[in-house]
Amino acid sequence: MASTKEKLITHVSKEEATGSTNKVTVVGVGMVGMAAAVSILLKGLTDELALVDVMEDKLKGEAMDLQHGSLFLKTHKIVADKDYSVTANSKVVVVTAGARQQEGESRLNLVQRNVNIFKFIIPNIIKYSPNCILLVVSNPVDILTYVAWKLSGLPRNRVIGSGTNLDSARFRQLMGEKLGIHPSSCHAWVIGEHGDSSVPVWSGVNVAGVSLQSLNPDMGTDKDKEDWKSVHKMVVDSAYEVIKLKGYTSWAIGMSVANLCESILRNLRRCHPVSALVKGMHGVNEEVFLSVPCLLGNSGLTDIVQMTLKSDEEKQLKKSAETLWAVQKELTL
Amino acid sequence: MKRPDVQWITVTSSSLSLPEAGTRDGSLIHCSAPYSRQQQPAMLVSCWCLYLGAQRLYRHVLSMASVVQKLITPLFSGTLEPPRNKVTVVGVGQVGMACAVSVLLRDLADELALVDVVEDKLKGEMMDLQHGSLFLKTPKIVSGKDYSVTANSRVVVVTAGVRQQEGESRLNLVQRNVNIFKHIIPQIVRYSPNCILIVVSNPVDVLTYVTWKLSGLPKHRVIGSGTNLDSARFRYLMAERMGIHPSSFNGWILGEHGDSSVPVWSGANVAGVSLQKLNPDIGKDTDKENWKETHKKVVDSAYEVIRLKGYTNWAIGLSVADLTESLMKNLNRVHPVSTMVKMNVFQGMYGIGDEVYLSLPCVLNSAGVGSVVNMTLTGDEISQLKKSADMLWHIQKDLKDL
Repeated sequence: MASTKEKLITHVSKEEATGSTNKVTVVGVGMVGMAAAVSILLKGLTDELALVDVMEDKLKGEAMDLQHGSLFLKTHKIVADKDYSVTANSKVVVVTAGARQQEGESRLNLVQRNVNIFKFIIPNIIKYSPNCILLVVSNPVDILTYVAWKLSGLPRNRVIGSGTNLDSARFRQLMGEKLGIHPSSCHAWVIGEHGDSSVPVWSGVNVAGVSLQSLNPDMGTDKDKEDWKSVHKMVVDSAYEVIKLKGYTSWAIGMSVANLCESILRNLRRCHPVSALVKGMHGVNEEVFLSVPCLLGNSGLTDIVQMTLKSDEEKQLKKSAETLWAVQKELTL
Repeated sequence: MKRPDVQWITVTSSSLSLPEAGTRDGSLIHCSAPYSRQQQPAMLVSCWCLYLGAQRLYRHVLSMASVVQKLITPLFSGTLEPPRNKVTVVGVGQVGMACAVSVLLRDLADELALVDVVEDKLKGEMMDLQHGSLFLKTPKIVSGKDYSVTANSRVVVVTAGVRQQEGESRLNLVQRNVNIFKHIIPQIVRYSPNCILIVVSNPVDVLTYVTWKLSGLPKHRVIGSGTNLDSARFRYLMAERMGIHPSSFNGWILGEHGDSSVPVWSGANVAGVSLQKLNPDIGKDTDKENWKETHKKVVDSAYEVIRLKGYTNWAIGLSVADLTESLMKNLNRVHPVSTMVKMNVFQGMYGIGDEVYLSLPCVLNSAGVGSVVNMTLTGDEISQLKKSADMLWHIQKDLKDL
């Protein structure tokens, strides 16, 4: 007796259906991981999404909840498992796993806790997706991107840290508020270390190519009557503020991750401030990752844009590099 | 934006102009003849000093002009238009935020307002969304405990209320949520008298009735998210069994959102081919393929996800955004949502005489529920709807202060 399905549908193709072409894995189904997953799904970037975590019930629940929304999405395959075999053949792997900042805790304090978690995660990812591009989000992101690079054995173009993509987005949003313009028309680059010592490059801040610093030469200094420096300070304080109010941050970082994935998966070669190996640039001699403007495409981080920095900006980068190296050299990898 | 500085410069320079002055080429102001030859050098010197003073003043004022004023020349300085596509979400719990993010990522609104009673959480959520503005096309995201932030909304999504505990049935939540709604609904309507309300809080069918009563709005403007989600889950699970995409599987679940929802097997089809014609036992206990099990999984879904992760949010968020899209864009798409089944004093759909909200296939457009599709239901399906209606009315009649 033929089943209902057999009566309804006649299979005619002799070929096997090909596997997914644009698979994305998200490691860690906490608030950040799920915000990234939902943003990626709603932008329709992938044909297969895999979720991994150690907490099995939470993982299964999250996967089911997303699957129940399949009618409204264009990602037909959503899988999840504790076992990394579900992540096989991913193009991009977003790593959000790890402990999160507590209220008032700085990012550098999280280090060793997260290094130990990465020692388990990274080799497992590489085992099943040896040609993937790793996008590290867990904090402290610059150090953990270095750790992921070392543990993975991948070439430097395949290991990217989400870096100051979010800081720059926050800066542009605040700048947009101040000027009454949409953030996408306000251009500004915040580079260097993601966090307390990020560097706003004032010379590059512009709207329609008009440099704001040429209109206001005091911009970014303490003499500035308009106090643009406090805009950068607000960016640095943002994360702590949101954590204090709602316990964690998720939506903005999730959207920023989807923004980066879009450039990678669609091979856009857009320029983003992300964490890359900067040894040999801007006077940095240590093997550290800091955010600089990079071109992202389907081979990952293929090129770096050389910014013309002032001497005090370069000094800040060097100082960040030294701080990061001081922490990195103590790590057992 | 006003530029008072520039106007002031203009006044100053014009006040500098002397009567019958000669050429004024910016470097020299020639005085005219009326003054005597002895007075002329002194006049020239004082003119020159005045000119230098004015120039210094001008440069000083210009440097005081802000970056905004130097960068941008405003053309229009009237009051800004009110938003045309504003969405408000009441309640910033997991469901409310999932709805908010889905609406944002689908570019449905030009303004989003969030309301809640927990002020820190509310502000934190608003800030987190605002920080993503670069990646969005919703230029204004506001929040507040005070409902004035919700003014002029087209669609208001109500997710406020307490959520189902593990194992708790939806009907047990009732009185807890009614008391919350008595505070919320009148305030919403006060600031957005022309809005369409989408009620999500559970038990959704009862609370949509409560909302309708408390709002005083006509019934076509109060919708319950109803079985939109149940149907989405049903279509997903059925499509999985068939190996096709959910959107290519057409199936409707109507009636009460939850334990006694009604799967309309006669309507289930792919490409217009009725599954019931291929398998007349479909949905019955005699069905060898046990398709009934799929409907049971839909009913159990919410409890299962709650058991695993503590709550459900993504699927309901996506389904609410789907409804919002039909309303905002005046699409006239058909969705299974909770609507008033009693048409008028004399008749109700399927012979139901009580004023209850149950999910039926509704055509949604910018006015709300434009019309209801008259699905042909079997006698058995109609009696299930009647049974749900009785159960809902039994609860509703005892609610106080509506």
